Parts: sequence; structure tokens; C-alpha cells
Amino acid sequence: MTLRGEGPGWRPVSPALATARTVVVLGLLLPALLATVGVALLVTPWAWAGTAGVLLLAAWGVWLVRRQVSAISWAELDEEIVIRKGRVLRTLVSVPYGRLQYVDIQSGPLSRALGIASCEIHTASPASGGSLPGLPTAEAEALRTRLAARGESQRAGL
Amino acid sequence: MTDDGGWQRLHPLSPLLRGGVVLLAVGGYVVSQLFDRVMSVFDTGVYVPGGPGQRGDGEMLVAHPFLALAAVVVLVLAVAAGAWVSWRFTRFRVADGQVELRQGVVFRQHRQVRLERVQAVETTRPLLARLVGLSQVVVQSAGGSDSHLTLAFLGADRAEEVRVHLLELAGRVDDAAVAPDAEDDAPGASRGADAGVPLVVVPNGRLFVATILHGSTIVLGIVVLGVATAVGVSRVGLQVLAGAPALVPVVLGLAVGRVKELLVHGNFSVARTATALRVRHGLTDLRVSSVPVHRVQALEAVQPLWWRPWGWWRVRVNVAGVHGEDDGDTTTLLPVGTREEALRVLGALGVPAQDPLVVATLDGSGPDGGWVGPPRVVRWLDPWAWRRIGYALAASAVHVRSGRLTRRAVFVPYARVQSLGLEQGPLQARLGVASARVVSTPGPVSPLVPHLATAEAERLLGLLAERSRVARRVRAKAPGTVAPDAPTLVD
Repeated sequence: MTLRGEGPGWRPVSPALATARTVVVLGLLLPALLATVGVALLVTPWAWAGTAGVLLLAAWGVWLVRRQVSAISWAELDEEIVIRKGRVLRTLVSVPYGRLQYVDIQSGPLSRALGIASCEIHTASPASGGSLPGLPTAEAEALRTRLAARGESQRAGL
Repeated sequence: MTDDGGWQRLHPLSPLLRGGVVLLAVGGYVVSQLFDRVMSVFDTGVYVPGGPGQRGDGEMLVAHPFLALAAVVVLVLAVAAGAWVSWRFTRFRVADGQVELRQGVVFRQHRQVRLERVQAVETTRPLLARLVGLSQVVVQSAGGSDSHLTLAFLGADRAEEVRVHLLELAGRVDDAAVAPDAEDDAPGASRGADAGVPLVVVPNGRLFVATILHGSTIVLGIVVLGVATAVGVSRVGLQVLAGAPALVPVVLGLAVGRVKELLVHGNFSVARTATALRVRHGLTDLRVSSVPVHRVQALEAVQPLWWRPWGWWRVRVNVAGVHGEDDGDTTTLLPVGTREEALRVLGALGVPAQDPLVVATLDGSGPDGGWVGPPRVVRWLDPWAWRRIGYALAASAVHVRSGRLTRRAVFVPYARVQSLGLEQGPLQARLGVASARVVSTPGPVSPLVPHLATAEAERLLGLLAERSRVARRVRAKAPGTVAPDAPTLVD
């Protein structure tokens, strides 16, 4: 369990997650882009500056998403599952299988179209659960089954 | 009051008390109004406020005092009948390993709580109920305040009986499930479930002083002093004074908070029973609640700066399924106590008071005696407390200390660790340190060891994972275990 570094056990999440998040970022910026272009064509050419600004923002968003997604990694150890996230604010969560209460698999329409799902791990404490976004759907299902089985065999009382 | 199948009824006055304050207020208003009018008829002989020929309902009542009386009688009868029906249809029983409560005439409700899911049982006495000598029994289960089962109301003695009975039943189930934890040889352990041994009684005078000595009141005091000096010294001060009304809501809010603290924690006493700590508190609403020892997930002793001259500490705990003080649950086991009293309460919960490690957690600092703290470079991040911050691994719990002005000592038994985490912000990354979090169930205690060297934090996580793994195994494999999942929070 190290905060950084690439051990053999660490696995990345699906690159499709980056695609999904990029689509969301660009979708949010699209109205602003259209508005600035419209104003530039109809009212004043100075609005092109705004367009440039929005484009820069979009580029920064895309770069940020790539970095965020590439910073997520997880590992299934003998007794616990470990999830790492973040670059600027790094976090690591280690949840023992014996503490699992239940596991949720979620995927919205966009994620479904890209074939990924997010896996939410719940313990008795809302603060301690980990969420693992961007797993290929089949892998998420398999992970849930494995976690449920291990949780059952190592289950501990509060 | 026993029916078939062990069903029992609540006290007949219950529906009226549950209607409580509202009913009383409405009733009082109606009666006083009528009374005034009826009396005024007798006073003046004739009472015609609207002039002749404009008689409304009120005047009809005035003109016919007996009609008014009849209306009151009918109202009283209707309320009584409603209350009687409600009382008839509300029944509870303790059978087949669960508590059940049935209520409602039109919308029926049947709530049951399994005994092994019972987190705590408390009796409370709201002011009105106290006046007529009744109590309510609140059975707390793990799902939060919505899942509580409230038996309101029972006679005070009966309520106490039910509480003790439930606790004994629940305690028996629990004892079987967590036998290894009950090795605690507290003086009360061999007695009956409720023959509590008094641990601490908090004098109301001390509580009053401690409540006043609070960050907010001290800041307010300084502000008031500053304003007063300004007014005294210069004429500008008068303009400042004109702004004083703006402070009223702030002061009011503050006063409400302080008074509430006094009301809730007044008459505070703690006793040790075989399986639980029994807490009695409340100036107006007397509460008796039991915190089962094995449901305590994490413990914390805190000493704010202004309490230090008196050597006072506050002890709070996380209890599984209990989310905070506000929904009537108990997480404060000692609102203010001397160091010796705090250690006694901690001792009753399995933190040995004689252990030098425990003493060092309360007010030690520096690396001596098995303590691991942050590297020297952390003085840039936390110049005050960096020497005090640290953790130590005791036999059965991890000890975490932090805070130099407000001293904080946290204890988490290895077997109760939910999960572990590391956090590192950009400044921490530059200094090569990270904070380690020991996640407990929701509650006032949130254990965090800030600013350990990154490698050290990672090592701590590994050590804790290993120790809590072993502790969980020991608990799970203990003889007499009912079912491995018996006391878990959620199924």
C-alpha cells in the first residue's frame, strides 16, 4: 500500500472513463462556445477573444480529465481492496473485505454506451467507502461477485 | 394489562401526552376565552359588544353559558374518546427474540426490532410526562433515528422494568456474540445487568463554569470588552455601539447553544453495569440511556485550552448506529470531568488508565515511549502542535494524539477499525508527508494522524491493517459465537 508508484498489483481504470468525462466537459462548454461565436459574427468581432478563452478552457479540461483518470488505480490484495485517486490531492482508501456491507454497480446512459460502470463500496461508515469509477462492465460485475464472496467469508461483526 | 400472546398496553394517559403541548395550549386558550366571557356575563348582567341585533357565534355562547359548557364537555369527551381508541389500538410485546409495537386505527403500523439488533435502550422523561410520573422507552436500532421504536408512555417504574428487561435480553444475546470483549474485570461485571456501579457524577456548578468557558463565549467577551473600552475612550465608540443590535441574533444563538448544553448535560452521572455504561442526564428532560460497551467504536478525550487550568476533560465516543446528540442519542459519556474521572470512564470502556501510554496520549509530546510523530520539517505546516502529533500502537487499540492548544486523545480498538486511508495535499507532497486516517463509524470522533512522513504513514497503514485483521479473526473465532454476522450494522 503505497501512495504512489507502480507495483505489480496496481491496475488502472478503463481509458473509456476519460472519454466519458471528456464528453461531459465538452458538452458543458458547448453552449458557451456557440454563444461567443454567435456574438462574434453578429455583434462585435471582439467576442472572438471569448471564443478563444472557451477553447483554452476546453483544452485545459481535456488535459485535466486525462490526468485525473490516469491517476486512479486500484489493487485487490488478500484481505483488502485499495483505491488510489488524485494527483494534487492524493488519497488512498483501503477497505478490508470483512468490513464490506454492500457493493453497488452504477452506470448512466453515457457510461453504458462506452461499456463502463462504476463500483461503489459501502462499509458501516459512509466516510470510508470507496468508489471505483470506470471499470469495464463485465469486470465490474466480476469484481462485485468476488467482493461479495470474500466479504461473506471474512465477515466480521462491528 | 397483559393480553393474549404477551401483548401489553401503554399507559392510558399516553395519547394525551403525545398530543402534549399542542393540546394543552389549545385547551388552555379555549378555556380561558370562554371563562372570560362567561364571567363577564355574570359581571355586567348584559354583554353585547356588537350592539343589538348583531349576534355572532361568540355572543350566542355568551348569551347561553350552559351551551358553552356543553361545547366544552363535548370537546373533552371527543378528545377522550379519540385518546381511548388510540390507546386501545397501541400494543407492544417482547417475544420471539424481538420487540414489537403495533399502533394506528386507520393506518396500521407494526414495527419490530430484533433483540440482537438493539444498539441501546434508553428511558426519557419529557417535562409533561415527568409531571405525571411517566417515562418513555426508546429502543435504538442500527438504522438511525427513523428506525427507533418508542414506547410512549409507561409508568416510570414500568418503563425502568421494560428497559432493564430488554437490556438483559439484548445483553444476553450480545454477550454470547462477543464474549472475548467481556474480559473486562470492572467491579460491576459480576452483578446483575442493571446493578450499576456509580463511576462519575458531574456537579452542576462545574458543568456551568465549563459551559461558559467555551470558545464562542470567550470571543464574545473579548468583543464586548473591546466595545466597552472604545465607548469609554472615544466618541467614535458611540457609533460602534449603534451597531450593537446587529449582534443580538449572534448573542442569542450563542446563548441558546450554551443553555441547551446545560439543559442536556445537567445532573449528569455515569454508572457501570455488566454490559453497558448507564448515563443519566438532563435538567428538564431526564434521560437514562445505556451505551453497550461492545458497541463503542472509538473514544476521544478532549481538553480545550480554557479548561486546562482546571484540568478538565470531555469524553465522547462513536457508537454504532448512533449518529449524533441531536436525535436524542448519547455520544457524550462525560461532558466535563477531572482527569482522574475521564480516565475512570475510559477505563470502563477498556482503555487501561494505569497504562503510561494512555497518560501520554492525554498530555504527552515527543517521541519517547513508543510514539511515532511527524518529521521535523512539519514545523512549517504546524508550528504549534507538530511535536505533540503522533500515534502509538498499544495492545488492543491505536492511540492518536493531536492538538497543542486543544488537546485531543483518540483511541480506536483494532477490532473496530472500519477502513484506512491516506491523504496528501500539495503542500504535504512538497514536504514529503501524508495524513493517515483511521475510519470509524459516524459520530463525534474522527481519528486522523496528520503529517506523518509518507513512508511512515504507509507503514502505519500496513501495521494497522495487519493488527485489525488479527483482532477481527479473534473476535470471529471466539467460542460461543452465535453467528458470524449477528451484530453487523446492515444486512
